[in-house]
Amino acid sequence: MIHDFGIVWSERSLLLSGLGNTTILSILSAVAALLLGFMLTPALMSKQAWLSWIVRGFVDGMRCVPFLLFAYIVYYGLPSLGLRLDNWTSGLLALTIYNAAYMAEILRGAWASQPREPIEAGVAFGFSNLSLFRRIVLPPLLLAAGPVIGNQIIQIVKDSAFLTIIALPELTHAAASIQSRHYVPFAAFITAVFLYWGLCLVIEAGVTTIDRLAAARR
Amino acid sequence: MSAGDLLAILQGAVVTVTLSLAGILIGLPIGLALAVLRWADVPIVARIVAVYVSVLRATPLVTLLLLLFFALPNIGIAIGPISAAILALVMNTAAFNCEVWRASLMNFPKDQYEAAQSVGMNAALRFRRIVLPQIVRVSLPGLVNEMSLLIKVTPVLAVVGVVDITRAAVRIGAQTYDPLPPFLVAIALYAPIVFLLVSLQRWIERRQLRMAAA
Amino acid sequence: MRDVTKVLDVVGISKHFGDLEVLRDISFQVQKGETVCVLGPSGSGKSTLLRCINWLERPDAGQIYLSGQEIGVTAGGVVMGDRELSHIRTHIGMVFQHFALWPHLTVLQNLMEAPIQVQKRPKAEVREEALALLAKVGLSDKRDVFPAKLSGGQKQRVGIARALAMKPDLLLFDEPTSALDPELVGEVLVVMRELAREGMTMVIVTHEMGFAREAATRVLFLDHGRVVETGSPEQFFSRPETDRARQFIQRYANDAANGRR
Repeated sequence: MIHDFGIVWSERSLLLSGLGNTTILSILSAVAALLLGFMLTPALMSKQAWLSWIVRGFVDGMRCVPFLLFAYIVYYGLPSLGLRLDNWTSGLLALTIYNAAYMAEILRGAWASQPREPIEAGVAFGFSNLSLFRRIVLPPLLLAAGPVIGNQIIQIVKDSAFLTIIALPELTHAAASIQSRHYVPFAAFITAVFLYWGLCLVIEAGVTTIDRLAAARR
Repeated sequence: MSAGDLLAILQGAVVTVTLSLAGILIGLPIGLALAVLRWADVPIVARIVAVYVSVLRATPLVTLLLLLFFALPNIGIAIGPISAAILALVMNTAAFNCEVWRASLMNFPKDQYEAAQSVGMNAALRFRRIVLPQIVRVSLPGLVNEMSLLIKVTPVLAVVGVVDITRAAVRIGAQTYDPLPPFLVAIALYAPIVFLLVSLQRWIERRQLRMAAA
Repeated sequence: MRDVTKVLDVVGISKHFGDLEVLRDISFQVQKGETVCVLGPSGSGKSTLLRCINWLERPDAGQIYLSGQEIGVTAGGVVMGDRELSHIRTHIGMVFQHFALWPHLTVLQNLMEAPIQVQKRPKAEVREEALALLAKVGLSDKRDVFPAKLSGGQKQRVGIARALAMKPDLLLFDEPTSALDPELVGEVLVVMRELAREGMTMVIVTHEMGFAREAATRVLFLDHGRVVETGSPEQFFSRPETDRARQFIQRYANDAANGRR
């Protein structure tokens, strides 16, 4: 068993690059999904029935479809429609679009439970549009939604592992590669599991910090 | 896509539903047992459960599945794709269920428990007659949510060769060089099941809100 | 010759929470048929004392005897496990400040639950007695209702009936009317007064001075975890011996004058 871990250690550069890819993939799609979510949420709550209807359809649709299937469709299915993407672009696109729906729903829920008075006060004091959004609306919204967004980011990290099936060289793919070449399945995958665990603990620590900031301001 | 292809995907649906049910039905009581172990603060065991839940909630199902499928035979435990699939699903869902059960246990009103103690109910009676009926009610939305999440990760079982909806669709796509139609059929099968569970969860939450307000 | 049976014997009970000493060397006895009211300012340890009697809180020092049998520690000197404690608790009834009714059971089921599940008495017999108890507290028409639909006063009367259903030797009341709206306090005190009159052995932690004055056979005054004074209600209320008791009663008189009690 020690010998097995020795082999894994000798392949650490592959594992670390896999971890790096997982991290980059997760961060990029998390940020993009959050930004997209910010654009979708107002549409979701729009008074224009047709707009809110379409976006609601998209959000509910994404929540009813398994991510793996969605990733397959983006990578294997889109070429039938003439759009051929490489596995990195497909993976990033799939992760982003899929989680944008979840982020939109999270932001909508957080917005619904925000008190209105502080914002009205902001308007009364002359804040408008961008500065109103950036200085008055956004901070309490993010503080309130912090834990839920954190959970969603963890979900993104885990979803990224599905992309091993489209041969994206992320962490699980690296572990599988080590296992298939050296026949050290336990050592390889357990190491991957603990790396995922570490990544999630880091994210949870970030969430705890935000939560502490939020609690001090409650 | 022919009728035979459609049939193949439907057969895959049977596998998906069966494995999901197995995972859900086995995972529910195990999740409860884990939660009770933490709630009762059994020495040593409670810490082990806490670590187990933390790790399992951070582990992607595909990684867990590959670990079980390849590593167990390596240490002498022969395991086929179906067993590995069910084991992975159960280990995963039990960890998430544990947190749902635990939340309702932690929020259980202390004085009801003390009232049960004061009339001389022992621990087993207190749990069975007073605690359990109520935490089932409170945990229901969270547990149903977890069920819908479980169904959404079952496609990963295709990775170890289980022929569920996704693998059937992939196979047909590879054979016909036209992957989109079988994928769309697959969506048409997954989406209603998940939608049903999500709607069930919303209905339960609404009903509980109404009953609390009454 | 009057039959004097010592139902409760509390000897040298002490308890601390962290570095806060809540109970200091408390001793007293309760004879059969007595109604002992425990009075004192907030934070004096009254509730903690009550909860030590049936070991809902574990005393740090001292002994408690129910009809001669020690609670919490076996004859061999070993701390009792859940099973033995549960057995003793069947002889002590408790009424809680916030009622603590089981919401998933109807009023009648709340009364029947413990006699059937714990005492293993036959269902028909338990049902009959439960119905009689409900009639006694004036809630026969609510027997199939769930607790959520009851008023505070009704809930507490059910709480009392539930405790009585176990036929306890001793009834403990933990501020039974403190959580009630003023108009609802009366209906609960009526039940308690009747129980006292019937000779039920009771220890009541309460702020209801009027009730203590009328219905108690003895008053225990606690302050900062110690029994400062004890005596009959007439003694305590009209001729208190200690300054602290005097201040306490004075404040009660003021509150009553200002309409707060």
